[in-house]
Amino acid sequence: MIEMKDLSLVYPNGTQGLKNINVKINKGEFVVIVGLSGAGKSTFIRSINRLVTPTEGQLFVDDEDILKYKGKDLRKLRTKVGMIFQNYNLVKRSTVMKNVISGRLGHTGTLKSILNLYSKKDMALAYESLKRVNIEEKIYSRADQLSGGQQQRVSIARVLTQQPSVVLADEPVASLDPPTSHQVMKYLKKINSEDNITTIVNLHFIDMAMEYADRIIGMRAGEIVFDGPASKVNEKTFEEIYGRPIKEDDIRGGTEENVETP
Amino acid sequence: MNTIVPPKPPKSGVKTIRNIIIGIGMLALYIWTFATIEIPWDRIFSQRTIDNFDRVIPKLFSPDFTFASRVFEYMMETLFIAFTGSFMAAILAVPFGFFAASNINRNPFLNTLGKWILNADRTFPEILLALIFVVAIGPGAFAGVLAIAIHSVGMLGKLYSEVVESIDMNVVEAMEANGANKIQIFFYGIMPQVIPEFLSYAIYRFEIDVRASTVLGIIGAGGIGTLLVISSRNRNWDEVGMILLVIIIFVSIIDYISTFIRKRIV
Repeated sequence: MIEMKDLSLVYPNGTQGLKNINVKINKGEFVVIVGLSGAGKSTFIRSINRLVTPTEGQLFVDDEDILKYKGKDLRKLRTKVGMIFQNYNLVKRSTVMKNVISGRLGHTGTLKSILNLYSKKDMALAYESLKRVNIEEKIYSRADQLSGGQQQRVSIARVLTQQPSVVLADEPVASLDPPTSHQVMKYLKKINSEDNITTIVNLHFIDMAMEYADRIIGMRAGEIVFDGPASKVNEKTFEEIYGRPIKEDDIRGGTEENVETP
Repeated sequence: MNTIVPPKPPKSGVKTIRNIIIGIGMLALYIWTFATIEIPWDRIFSQRTIDNFDRVIPKLFSPDFTFASRVFEYMMETLFIAFTGSFMAAILAVPFGFFAASNINRNPFLNTLGKWILNADRTFPEILLALIFVVAIGPGAFAGVLAIAIHSVGMLGKLYSEVVESIDMNVVEAMEANGANKIQIFFYGIMPQVIPEFLSYAIYRFEIDVRASTVLGIIGAGGIGTLLVISSRNRNWDEVGMILLVIIIFVSIIDYISTFIRKRIV
């Protein structure tokens, strides 16, 4: 469970990233955060694994205030809160396997990881994760030989290998075409329901938010301006969140059908 | 079909005038230079010069092949000096490279210090360093190795730091986000990104060092330069010819191999 109490964040340059956020996210929920760029979506999810540190308030993950965490505690938090990025952030020159096994780094001793001495269990877990996103045949390819959608699937496999209880995804489909976007969202949804992993995704496409989310949180200027189940959301709600009429750019469109597999 | 020619680039009068002034200035400089210096044409084309050329040049082009095995021996020593020096530098430059990279060493004072150390190191030519080491530890190949190594660290350290500064820091962030510690991030996130470029620069530096170490022997720091200085003092121009031939062949081969390997690496 994640709980934010009066959480605020002011960046050193004076920008208000978050403003008095009070929210509770339950175990296993699939939450989509929507808002225009600059609304504080990234700051919101990056606070949860402390890639940024809120300046005021409290943030509880599994009933522990993580804002005080440093060093070892922080690394431990990050092993259970996995993250997926817009630009996949794989080591492009390393193989898919090496990228996926790096999800185990937080669970593995320094010396063992440097010498590549992973247990059979870890190797099996990495392979299993690759299988779950249907990309196991690329296991020994270099990451830069894969397409964008494939790279994002590898990064999902990396997060799975980490065995997290929470997955944060920061604009995971912004660099992908519509069919691949749907495919990636389907995989995220799948691991959310199969492993009961709390999943928080930043999106700015309203149709995708409505299609995949259990719950939608709308943000504007660092504040939560909407919070409710996806079933109660329509275009009007989005116009209120965005503070302007819906435009073509806000809709991803397309379906998964015409995606090249895999 | 009517063809539309792209519009002419805008011309600024100030620029034209500036260019004309620069042109006149350059011309004046040349005229002034040639008008004031006295070139001793009679000495350049004197009978003595022509005799010397007559004596030396044909011998340079008829190298003494009986001398080849000795030249080869010294050339190998030169290669060893260059290789050992480059190898030492390639490793020593790694910590300097990271120290001088602004995305790793975030302390602006220490970072500037790192860059400054590398800049200062590069200002010493190999030959000067070799002179110091020949005095300090005595003549021989080891003095040459140290001179090459110390000088190369300056350049490699700077090139390495530029490589490190160009890495994808998002990867580092992703590793931080999955709970890896600093050492793990270094080996998993940073090393794979920099190793191929590091290697490529180290090989390139070896190529330069082979050329640099051919002359180190002139001041007693080992290698083929030793032979070069003896043969030219004794005016054995056919031996000098042989030495030059071997140097040219070796340097060309190494350039070729180095270019080939570097293309494959990156």
